[in-house]
Amino acid sequence: MGRCIGTRFDHLFYHLLVGRRFGVSSAWERVVHWKVERETERSDQTLTAAPDDFQAALMAATQSQFGASGGGVAVSSPPDQAVESTPPPQTRLPMTANAILLVTILLGAFGAALINGRFKIAGDMGPAFADIVVDGPLLWPTLFVGGVLVGIGTRMAGGCSSGHGMSGCSRLQPVSLVATSVFFGTAVAVSSLLLWVI
Amino acid sequence: MIGFGDFAELNAMFTLQDLRMLFTFMGAVAVAGALFYTFTKDRPKGPPIHRGIVPGAVLFGTGWAISGGCPSIPIVQLGTGYLPALMTMAGIATGMRAYRKLNARYFHFDTGACSI
Repeated sequence: MGRCIGTRFDHLFYHLLVGRRFGVSSAWERVVHWKVERETERSDQTLTAAPDDFQAALMAATQSQFGASGGGVAVSSPPDQAVESTPPPQTRLPMTANAILLVTILLGAFGAALINGRFKIAGDMGPAFADIVVDGPLLWPTLFVGGVLVGIGTRMAGGCSSGHGMSGCSRLQPVSLVATSVFFGTAVAVSSLLLWVI
Repeated sequence: MIGFGDFAELNAMFTLQDLRMLFTFMGAVAVAGALFYTFTKDRPKGPPIHRGIVPGAVLFGTGWAISGGCPSIPIVQLGTGYLPALMTMAGIATGMRAYRKLNARYFHFDTGACSI
C-alpha cells in the first residue's frame, strides 16, 4: 500500500511539475531513440536561439518562390489575432530526464532489494517463471520475444500500464480505458493458457 | 511481499487466483483520480483513439503475460539481481525501434506527437 500511494504521488507531482502524462514506455521510447532525440534537441536549440534568423530565412524562401509583391506586409497576420491563437509552449522534457527516470528505477529497485534482503544475482527468473512459462535454454529467447511484443505493443497502443493504466485511467480518458481493458484482458487470457494448458 | 516485479504474484493476478495486486492497482487509480480531481483544474481528453490501440494493446498484453515486463518491470527485476531481465530490455528496445520503422512505412498511426 505504501508503494501504491508513493507511485500515485510520483504521478501527481510529475503532472504538476511537467504538465504531461507520466509514462514509463514513453521514457523508454525516447531513450531507445536517443540519437534522433539528440538531433531534434539540437535543431530545437538552433531555432529558439535565433528565431528572427529563422523567420527571415522563411520569408526569403517564400519570396523567391512566389515573388516579392506585397513586400512581406501581406504575409504577416494582424498582431492581436496572432497572439491569441498561439498555443502555450510545449513543455518537452529533455531526453536526459527520461534516462534518469529509468536509471533511478534501477537504483530504487536495487536499494529496496538490499534493504529487505532479497538481492541475489540469479541467472534465471525465479521458480515461478520456470514453472509457469519456460525453463532451461529457451528462457532467454522467450524473454526477448516477450520484450519485443511489449516494445511494439506499448508504442502502437500509445502507452503502458503506467501511462494508460494509471495516469490515463485515473483521469478517465476514453483511449486509456479501452487500452487498459484490452491489454489486461489479453494478459489474463495468455496467463491462464500458460498456467493451465501449456 | 506484494509487487508487479514478482512473477508469481503477477501470474496469480492474471489468472484471477489472487486479486490482492489488482485491488492495489485499482486503489492506486482511485487515489490518483481523487488527487488529480482535487489538485488540478485541467481535464485533458487524452490522445485520440486510432485503429492501432486495440491490436497494440493485445500485443502488449501478450508480451506482459510472457515476460512479466510492463516495461519498467525488467529494470526492477535487474535491480533485484535477475540477470535475464537484460534480455527483456533488449527485446523492448528492439520492438520500439522496429515499431517506429513499421509505423512510418505501413501503419501511419497517430502515436501522439506530444507524448511526454
